[in-house]
Amino acid sequence: MEALVISHQKQIGDKMLEGLISGLFKIFTSNMMNIPLIEPLVDYLMQIPLVNLLVALILWRPFFAVIILPGLVGLLIYLLWIVYWERKLTARVQWRVGPIEVARPIRGAIQALADGIRYFFQEAIIHREAHKIYYIQLPILAFIPILLPLLFIPAGNVVGIKTPYGIQLIVAFIALIPLFIVAMGWASHSRFAYIGSLREAFMYFAYEIPFIIAVVAMIYVYGSGDPYVAVEKQNIPGAVLNPLAFIVYIIAMIMATSRLPFEIPEADQEIAFGPFVEYSGILFGLVMTLLYEKLYLMALLFVILFLGGWEGFYVGILGDFCAPLVLFIKTVVVISVLVIVRSVYARYRLDQAIRLGWTSYLTLSIAALILGMFVGVLV
Amino acid sequence: MEYEIKVPVQPPTELQSLFIPIPPEYVEEVYRSEDFLVLVGPQHPGSGHMRLIVRVHGDIIREVIPDPGYVHRCVEKIAENRLYIQNIPLVERPSIMDALNFNLGYVRAIEDALEVEVPKRAKYIRTMLAEICRIGTHLYDAAILAVFLGHTTGFMYPFGIRELICEVLVRITGARFTSSFIIPGGVRRDVDEQTLKFVYETTFAIEKRLKSFERIFIKNPTVIARLKDVGVLTKEEAIKFGVVGPFLRASGVEYDVRKVEPYEAYGELDWDIPVADAGDSYSRFLVRVNEISQSLKIVRQCIKNMPEEKLKDFRGTFFDEFADIVLPQGEFTTLTEASRGTLIYSIVSDGESNVPYRMRMITPGWLYLRGFMESLKGERLADLQAIYGSFGYFPPEADR
Repeated sequence: MEALVISHQKQIGDKMLEGLISGLFKIFTSNMMNIPLIEPLVDYLMQIPLVNLLVALILWRPFFAVIILPGLVGLLIYLLWIVYWERKLTARVQWRVGPIEVARPIRGAIQALADGIRYFFQEAIIHREAHKIYYIQLPILAFIPILLPLLFIPAGNVVGIKTPYGIQLIVAFIALIPLFIVAMGWASHSRFAYIGSLREAFMYFAYEIPFIIAVVAMIYVYGSGDPYVAVEKQNIPGAVLNPLAFIVYIIAMIMATSRLPFEIPEADQEIAFGPFVEYSGILFGLVMTLLYEKLYLMALLFVILFLGGWEGFYVGILGDFCAPLVLFIKTVVVISVLVIVRSVYARYRLDQAIRLGWTSYLTLSIAALILGMFVGVLV
Repeated sequence: MEYEIKVPVQPPTELQSLFIPIPPEYVEEVYRSEDFLVLVGPQHPGSGHMRLIVRVHGDIIREVIPDPGYVHRCVEKIAENRLYIQNIPLVERPSIMDALNFNLGYVRAIEDALEVEVPKRAKYIRTMLAEICRIGTHLYDAAILAVFLGHTTGFMYPFGIRELICEVLVRITGARFTSSFIIPGGVRRDVDEQTLKFVYETTFAIEKRLKSFERIFIKNPTVIARLKDVGVLTKEEAIKFGVVGPFLRASGVEYDVRKVEPYEAYGELDWDIPVADAGDSYSRFLVRVNEISQSLKIVRQCIKNMPEEKLKDFRGTFFDEFADIVLPQGEFTTLTEASRGTLIYSIVSDGESNVPYRMRMITPGWLYLRGFMESLKGERLADLQAIYGSFGYFPPEADR
């Protein structure tokens, strides 16, 4: 009798698991990426049990958008590229060669990977005076505002969460990142980190308002906060529709990610990397890439708002994969051009940057808003 | 509604555990007021081998107490135990960029004592070498200023240009710097025509490259914004605090030892003293940039007007000829215009021993340290590095 009950329960359990798997499978397959290039491979893998679930998950559109492209994997590839590219470009400007010793045949292209591995195995020192709990968890928690906007960034029909308020949500989550940097400086309990945190907070006020106004100006132009509408309406790119907002947004990108000439919170000659002064090892690796990740998010939004988003070329064989690829390429190109400011400008002082932010920069953004209103009526 | 924030600010323990040349009462007083002590250095990317104890009120610097001496190497004491000729490499060491100016000052003190007549060609070669070193030092300081402002291209360009200076020095003296080339009664060996031609052509190469440096750094709006009206020393202040060299001239005082008491060939050449009136960081920088072009002019003139003469080659017989120098009894002082300012050598001799009784060496860095600290008052904390770079303060030179 007991054996019968157990076997009966087992049957029910099996049935439930089966139901769960088939249910998940149904969800995944209902919204799958259609890529003609790898179709034979996908078809073959779909015949194998359990592997088909994995394949279906990867090709499930929301998952693909957040984890593969333009999400996490894209972010990683971009990080490896931009660190190398920035160093190489700066070196060429400065009559130098740049990173070359790691993998000489490909001109040191995997330098960033080598650095990452080094950070990973380096000892992460936690000094006595640090607020230990916050000190360790904040660099990791800072990934939350990095990952959340990725949910709302669409690329064609590949999107995490489809909402008509996508642009506003992306801006809102990007605006959270400085809070984590300020908190890191506080948890470090060091004089230079403290000064760096204060500078970060001041800079936040200097760029955030013009940045939001510039985005609002573009929302006026398109008449909607929906990225799909924004891209649809860009027969003429947004950069031409509202050039003032375009300029304001570029300056905001430079200011928000502490690039020179606004590398004020991290000024390593003045306050020795500011909020990140005490971090070492993998924790430093995390905080160092934080601003690059922020730059990536802002550039994604920039491409959607001003450069026609994922509209570019269409290759039939890539199918749905084409849109994320176009978006990613555009983003990386924009950032690769942007990093040249590092070798051209010196660092402004904090008060100069704030004065700039609250006077000419704010005026420019308001002008962009007014222009956006007029253009919005016409478009 | 008010929230209580428990910020974990404890009394600064490092101020008790570290040796700091300020009384504990001062630290207490600072912390009882609204001020804040920031220790910049000696392991700080923007301090060099020294510690600056900065008292800040908000972002404004109230007072800066320097803590030099981290690279003090007892040059004066070591000099008392060495032969006169062995001191030449020693006195060069504090400022290796500016080695030949330091060398020249010391050798001139010995020549004053022995009343040696220097051949005219040797004088021209010495002048040329001193000016080449001046260009190199100014380029080095410009590079440090650039990196203090976060401008890495401005850091790399002068170092790239300075390679030419090093190449010139290698061809003439055999060493990139600290060559000990100038000796009592002339130079170690003659310089041939081919090398002089190379130096002449190099001056134009440097000028050409300086133009790209000017485009990217000197006229960069961000650099001007950072340096203009920052760290101002008025004419009266500069004189009062004993600032020397290009930094004194940047405050509007037209004083240059090379013009006031011309030594070597300076009296026979045609050149100007660059002077500025503003006395701020930018004019301190510009005066030195203009000095580079004046120095290039002097080098060219030296090569053009170089007298034909046979100079003695001391290779092989050097030690035999100079080891037994004994200076007559008395004190012999020379003033030299080194790159960063007036350099004073004073040798006291007892008249019978072959080592100096006392060798006093006052370097420009030490002389303008006070002016440097005074100019920081009332500026912002971020300007600390800008002013530091504008003075080109070089701790080994000041500490000796």
